[in-house]
Amino acid sequence: MHPTRKTVIGPTGTSSWRTRKRWTSTDLSLIAVFAALIAALAILPGIPIGSLGVPITLQTLGVILAGLALGPTRGFAAVGLYLVAGLAGLPVFSGFRSGFGVLAGPSAGYLVAFPFAALLAGFFAVLVLRRASRFRWIGLFLAGLAASLLTVHPLGIAGLVVNGGLDVPAAVLADMVFLPGDIVKNLLAAGIALSVHRAFPRLLAPARSPATVADS
Amino acid sequence: MRGHGNLLGLYVPGRSVLHRAPLWLKVFMSLALSAVVLAARVPELTAVGLVAASLGLTLGARTPAAQLFRTVLPLLPVLGVLAVYHVIANGLLPAFVTTGNILTCVLAARTVTLTTPGQELLDGVVFVARPVRVVGGDPERFGLALSILLRSIPYLAGSLLDVRDAARARGLERSVRASVVPVVINAVAYAHRTGEALAARGLGEDDRPEDPGA
Repeated sequence: MHPTRKTVIGPTGTSSWRTRKRWTSTDLSLIAVFAALIAALAILPGIPIGSLGVPITLQTLGVILAGLALGPTRGFAAVGLYLVAGLAGLPVFSGFRSGFGVLAGPSAGYLVAFPFAALLAGFFAVLVLRRASRFRWIGLFLAGLAASLLTVHPLGIAGLVVNGGLDVPAAVLADMVFLPGDIVKNLLAAGIALSVHRAFPRLLAPARSPATVADS
Repeated sequence: MRGHGNLLGLYVPGRSVLHRAPLWLKVFMSLALSAVVLAARVPELTAVGLVAASLGLTLGARTPAAQLFRTVLPLLPVLGVLAVYHVIANGLLPAFVTTGNILTCVLAARTVTLTTPGQELLDGVVFVARPVRVVGGDPERFGLALSILLRSIPYLAGSLLDVRDAARARGLERSVRASVVPVVINAVAYAHRTGEALAARGLGEDDRPEDPGA
């Protein structure tokens, strides 16, 4: 667990992420802390919301927020790390479920989709933050919503069909139940992400000037 | 901040056969059982799988009945709905196969997590992750990230509960913004502090030589 031995690897690989800017220890710790944040949001009882006071768990809010706040690659890594920790047996999924057994459950599709949701949300968020100077909240909301409509819902439905044995119309119907809560959570995630970017303007440093990251 | 003792795994200390078995053997047997019942999808094998997983938990891991019940309890609503759906749509046997298979996989995986300390499980994950070196990953930085994740969960969960209390005191208990934004801002600051502390100790930095083209 403690990296006492230094590993030096020569530039032998040619895969795509070798050419990318490498993660500093701050990036590494942001990834781990956001994974922990998703875990903390998932295991605490939900917050009663709106006038009806229906409690919602904030697991998916954390997933989208990781993408909106950290950008595509670090967001993907943060949610992936959360997923690996949960599958390895830490009780970090909502309802204290854990272990690789959840992959056989009907909700497995949703879990598998989470890292890709963060990836897409981060990708769209970078576009919004670079291009738009106004209506950023709406932009980030649409980024999160598009990411979750393109990944979480299709893969979630696939999981219900494959693992739960539901036929497709029944699975789509079962999935629709989550849609209103999803919209609310994306509105919240966009607002929170905007506050984070106001507090830490260099968190999602623009790619054209990587030098600004080094002196932070 | 408050204590959250039960966050670091479901491990129950013991001296049973499965507690003493090596991790790789437990994982292999648990995965093999899950793969067989999921691939076959016949009622006889599902029944065998359920009995095998239950025997593994009760005799192999010496799990008390109460603990076993607490393991299954959170699953019951979902499995119940699923069972009702399948009984109506496809009949009794398919309902048994689908729900029984899910239960078998969850119980089989639980034999591993109940009998292995959390730290050992994570070390196992880092061990399994070693091949990522081939594509340029670094399993040691991955292990470091898992360690930071572990020690951050109790801190952030405590921070969430504290801020929620503060919001309630101001009459804002219905506002997610008031109860989450301060926690997230605090988490980013905490991550920056941790990153600086790691860098100061020479941990977590990528010490591989630069690519010529990068």
